[in-house]
Amino acid sequence: MALITDLIDPQAPTEPLRAARRDFFRAIAGAAMMGSVASLATAANAQTGPSDADILNFALNLEYIEASFYSFAVFGTGLPADQQTGTGTQGAATGGRQVNFTDPVVRQLAREIAQDELAHVAFLRQALGSAAVAQPAIDVGVSPTSAFSRAAQAAGLVPPGGVFDPYASDENFLLAGYLFEDVGVTAYKGAAPLITNKTFLEASAGILAVEAYHAAILRTSLFAKGLSTPSLIDATEAISNARDSLDGPTDLDQGVRPTTDASGNQVSNIVPLDANGLAFSRSTGQVLNIVYLNRAQTNRGGFLPAGANGPLNTSAANG
Amino acid sequence: MTKDLLLEALPKLEARRADRRAFLRGAGVATVAGGLMLSGCGDSNNNGVNVVPGSGTTPPLGTGSANPTNPGPALSDPDVLNFALNLEYLEAQFYAYAATGAGLSASAVTGTGTQGAVTGGRRVNFTDPLVAAYAREIAGDEVAHVLFLRQALGSAAVAQPAIDIGSSPTSAFSLAAQAAGLVPAGQAFDPYASDDNFLLAAFLFEDVGVTAYKGAAPLITNRTFVEASAGILAAEAYHAGLVRTALFRRSVATPSLVNATEAISNARDSLDGPADLDQGIAPVGGAANIVPTDANAVAFSRSAAQVLNIVYLNRASVSRGGFFPNGVNGAVNTSANNA
Repeated sequence: MALITDLIDPQAPTEPLRAARRDFFRAIAGAAMMGSVASLATAANAQTGPSDADILNFALNLEYIEASFYSFAVFGTGLPADQQTGTGTQGAATGGRQVNFTDPVVRQLAREIAQDELAHVAFLRQALGSAAVAQPAIDVGVSPTSAFSRAAQAAGLVPPGGVFDPYASDENFLLAGYLFEDVGVTAYKGAAPLITNKTFLEASAGILAVEAYHAAILRTSLFAKGLSTPSLIDATEAISNARDSLDGPTDLDQGVRPTTDASGNQVSNIVPLDANGLAFSRSTGQVLNIVYLNRAQTNRGGFLPAGANGPLNTSAANG
Repeated sequence: MTKDLLLEALPKLEARRADRRAFLRGAGVATVAGGLMLSGCGDSNNNGVNVVPGSGTTPPLGTGSANPTNPGPALSDPDVLNFALNLEYLEAQFYAYAATGAGLSASAVTGTGTQGAVTGGRRVNFTDPLVAAYAREIAGDEVAHVLFLRQALGSAAVAQPAIDIGSSPTSAFSLAAQAAGLVPAGQAFDPYASDDNFLLAAFLFEDVGVTAYKGAAPLITNRTFVEASAGILAAEAYHAGLVRTALFRRSVATPSLVNATEAISNARDSLDGPADLDQGIAPVGGAANIVPTDANAVAFSRSAAQVLNIVYLNRASVSRGGFFPNGVNGAVNTSANNA
């Protein structure tokens, strides 16, 4: 339960940063942006440790989570048994169920994303061959102590001890998908400079692009639905802040609340970017902070109760 | 002429696209995995460099139809980034005019090569405030990309080349729309005339940007630039996802929008060579198709030359035309020979 306290308290400081960054960017469009190259250097990850296979296996853990969630939501089942085997400790995906979609557009979008994520699992497993890690234990459930519920509690979407059920409605499904997709983008972007094999790098860039398309689908849908249901916009900001509170002091995350330009016109915020128009990066440790729902250095928790399989299994020490 | 070339190739390409999507969408995970094996074994471009440590039998990643990229002669990182800068000039000008009625400032278009003017852009009178908000966001992002790449390249940055974003019957947009069959031969397509036309014009650009950055990713040697380029790739994919999702949502009331995206997709695909690297938003088997991907759910790549086939609106090897009447600036300026 200390987790939740940890999740909540840093929300306030991050929000002004985000607003300042977007405002800065929006206001100076067209003018010279001196010093922006500095962010190139700071974005680089200096570590040289993990092999390409380590990185792809890390990505495979994330794809297992996404594919399990979407597969349950759309088809009512988890991954086929032959898609779960591999090295490390195999676990079950528990707690998911089929969404009874009411908006036919959302139903079709969900089906597309589910198929893509299942294909990503199959693709990475095939690429890694016998080196592929097994699916770890995955919590996609809806109990008051499930990862989804604790994330939602931390974000303030539900009261302490309350349940967040991502399968209960179109809107909840979109919010749960949103919780994952931007993280996937930052994870693949952060991993890009670590991959040495050019063929892997191009393939990884191709998955990065797909995760960004997915994120845009969810964010565009939430923004449009937010016109009639403004609480959805608030919810994306709350989830964004919760993610951001876990991954360290830098603001790497944005909800879909629109901003206003100098003429008073609304500017949407479908795309979470820095002042240079670049997507954010997260290290593998930072991604695991979010997946484990823990800002401290640990090797399990949250959506992966027994931890990720493979050598990249430890979250960053931000606590 | 362009139109004849395009129309001739359409039926064949369409059939191939349908096959691929049907394969992915209709098959389960097991079949998809089988397809990976097939594409891995059948590809002649492996060179044995793709084996994962600890796995002697692993088929290579990224082989098969999704990766047409042929690096060709070695390009420097500035060559690659300058090529991207040309594309960003085009996108930034289109969106900036559409959203605000003004283009890039004079200080943001200077550089090496031959500087040119942008002609024909104007502000869209948006009726849907959501679409107007999207336009402002994307315009700001694309302008930021121009400034970022110019800053990163410093004195090596190319100038903005001449850009045609007009709406006359012989403009690049109109020629592209004529080739796609959106308007009859000789008739204008005005991307600034309506929300839907704006979204279709944006659709025309964004997926191309994604494939261009993905194709360039393995050509960049500096790790910092690799990551920055991945960050722009992500932004372009978000934009494309935004535009395609908006078109799909609006197609509930205006079904012809789906056909228009398929026509534009086919027109693009007819220019860039025999491989099918493009998809519209027509749903497949109960699933939407917001994300254009191969059977592995990996986005497509285009080489720089293939990208130039599309922006020059020419399947032959040329150095100018279409949206860049005088060609792009920099070392990478010639389209592929797909004629």
